[in-house]
Amino acid sequence: MLEAIISGLTALATPQAMLFMIIGVSYGLMVGILPGLGGIVAIALLLPFTYGHERAATLALLLGAHIATIWGGSVTSILFKVPGAAKSLALVFDGHPMTQQGHASRALGASATAALLGGLMGAIFLAFSIPIVRPVMLALGPSEYLMMALWGLTIIATFSEGSLLKGMIATSAGIMIAYVGMDPVSGTPRFWFGSIYLLDGISFPVAMIGLFAVAEMIKLFVKGNTMINRVAGEEKSSVFDGVKDAFRHWWLVVRSSLLGLWVGVLPGVGASVGGIAAYAQAAQTSKTPERFGNGAVEGVIAPDATLGANEGGGLMPTLAFGIPGGESMAILLVAFLSMGIVPGPQMLTTELDLVFSMVWIIVIANIITTLIGLAISSRLARLPTLNPNIMIPLVLSVCLFGAFATRGLVEDVLVASFFGGLGYVMDKYQYSRANFVIGMVLAEMIERNLHISLGLYGDYFVLTRPITLAMLIFIIITTALPFLRQQRQALYKRFFFNKKNKQVKE
Amino acid sequence: MRLLLLSIFSVCLCSTIVRAESIEGEVVTILSANSAGGMMTRYARMIAPYIKKYSGAADVRVRVMTGGGGIRGTNFLWFSEPDGKTIAFTSVPSLILAQLSGSEAVQFDATRLVYLGRAATEPRVLTVGATSSILNIDDARTLDRPFIFPSQGTDEDFYSMAVLANVLDIEVKVISGYDGHSDTALAVIKGDGDGHITGWSASEAVIEAGDERPILTLSQERYSPYPNIPTALEVVEDDSRQAVQAIVNMLDMRRGFFGPPNLDPIATEELRVAISAAFNDPELIEQSKLAGLPLLPSDGNIEQQKIGQITEASQVIVPILEAALHAIL
Repeated sequence: MLEAIISGLTALATPQAMLFMIIGVSYGLMVGILPGLGGIVAIALLLPFTYGHERAATLALLLGAHIATIWGGSVTSILFKVPGAAKSLALVFDGHPMTQQGHASRALGASATAALLGGLMGAIFLAFSIPIVRPVMLALGPSEYLMMALWGLTIIATFSEGSLLKGMIATSAGIMIAYVGMDPVSGTPRFWFGSIYLLDGISFPVAMIGLFAVAEMIKLFVKGNTMINRVAGEEKSSVFDGVKDAFRHWWLVVRSSLLGLWVGVLPGVGASVGGIAAYAQAAQTSKTPERFGNGAVEGVIAPDATLGANEGGGLMPTLAFGIPGGESMAILLVAFLSMGIVPGPQMLTTELDLVFSMVWIIVIANIITTLIGLAISSRLARLPTLNPNIMIPLVLSVCLFGAFATRGLVEDVLVASFFGGLGYVMDKYQYSRANFVIGMVLAEMIERNLHISLGLYGDYFVLTRPITLAMLIFIIITTALPFLRQQRQALYKRFFFNKKNKQVKE
Repeated sequence: MRLLLLSIFSVCLCSTIVRAESIEGEVVTILSANSAGGMMTRYARMIAPYIKKYSGAADVRVRVMTGGGGIRGTNFLWFSEPDGKTIAFTSVPSLILAQLSGSEAVQFDATRLVYLGRAATEPRVLTVGATSSILNIDDARTLDRPFIFPSQGTDEDFYSMAVLANVLDIEVKVISGYDGHSDTALAVIKGDGDGHITGWSASEAVIEAGDERPILTLSQERYSPYPNIPTALEVVEDDSRQAVQAIVNMLDMRRGFFGPPNLDPIATEELRVAISAAFNDPELIEQSKLAGLPLLPSDGNIEQQKIGQITEASQVIVPILEAALHAIL
């Protein structure tokens, strides 16, 4: 194995491979920052340029670009509340409040470091777990995916501070929007009102651009002030505070990375669900869950570590079975096949050096992305302090262009604008936008997997599938934990207060 | 004066007629009815310059019109002028099946469209899991329980299986809702499902890895890399052949160019000749290999004949499709 590790690295030690890696990473960062575009678009656009080069160099270009898009997407989520891609959504919840509180550099530093650590764990996992990943993949099925989606749904309580009813209304509205279009089970059109545009459903990235980015710009226009209330240069923390945060919360990074790996490994789960699930576990296992949604750095670290590790996991089914773990992996599979790489169990034997080349690419691309990220974070952090007269047209035009670019439809621009208005109203009347999008993301996954589970395993599948049952118990415990903790604190306070009162009386 | 006006009017009328008949010197728009970055659009963009080269058109442009799985673009084409300046490129089986299954969104009649040539197709294959007790199609017919068919929805594979099950008397339980072929493949490998239908290219890696086993192809002839796997046409009785032939024809039409109904005969001929010549251009053949977009062309006239056969068989197929759809609702 040591020989394969070394030959995997030496394959990348050519000028062409290194150049391609740098080009890929720089390009990936730019694509990632543009809203609506992400790793899929990045790889698809690069595909025509990948023929006739060294195999390792081609992989460095494609994988490097794909990995860099992850952090690119996080940047806009944190700074402008504009998720670069659907999977960066969870970064908005705490990343942007940190920016508003003057901790943008710290948030960006934490984000880049968490993504790096997650990416490194993903790479290590990719290298050593091919023998165990097949049995694990075969053991999990739709009922377990359903439990994972339900786990993500439990996070709505965190964002329903003040009124659980408002939180539930927002979630239900998101679920209803997700139901527009063709039913994933039978293809029956729902809520389409005879419009072929609606037959395809509301594009999730478009709705997100509207709900967060456009709504924020409307808010900024109404407020007539800068995005954050501080003068440029008056950052309350530095990039290295964020780096330290990521290392300080090492256990959270490990947990989130492992979650990201398995989300990547399981086709049909999706990184956007992974990000939300990572956020949910961070909030539910925190001793101070009330800080989440208000600028908790753990809310940035957990989803970024998950997204970083997700890529290593996503490569697993692609390499081990020839089954792509996601859309970007499907495009990567096309590139593999055109390069003569035939996925399958033999990857661990005859093509081991190539597997290690990919491991090294993930490692090196993550390091380059993080280094660039840390170097530019302090400058990026000053962007939200721009004058609103510059900021509003700049962000709006990029966002509306992004909305158009997702599917090339003018109607998407109108939908983004509509959701912008909706997002503004929801924010004004304290209906959680986060709950709305969580409902939207998870609705289809829950519907799809519930239907398949009932069809395959029968009505009592929760009881007949041991892993499903274990996951359900885990969800109940993690959901109840913050409430139990709260109750314990209340009891403690009451006891302490009574004791104090008694002492005063005495 | 009256004579002069009449002459001018006649010249104008004649020039209009001549212009309508030929696409030479005109701008031809290919509507790609699928996503901007998707496979169909990549095919259309790759082929368009070569259609320009052989048609004499001033330009051949690709306009992406995504929506409804090809329905939006085809609806638009349906109402276009039949002058050859607007044609479309998409998955033909999806359109035919959308129509035959009674989709409310369909405003066109796929059997009346004018087919101009096929760019590519690939045989579809029914595969089972490597550990499955089903070794061939006869085993599937004699199962003492329903054959579990994981499906991603009501796509051409779902309807193909419905027709196969009907004519081969296989009791099928469709589990619909899977998220793409990757998901159905994993279900089959795991044993959650008995078998699924995909294109050969999607299944080849899994078959090579030994995780799936092909048992039947839906094609006119046996697939050369797997000569021992029979085609569906070989295993059906003569009285059921028409329905299976129609499905095979439909799947065979895959990635095709077509024009609106009543397309001008001269424009039709010019486009068919240009498209056919484009597919024989060595430069395009080389480019398609490099881009990983393989070509398997077929002439427009042949494709039009297939539509005729599908129309004839539609009376047999439609009740089967309706019953299959009803079963999963």
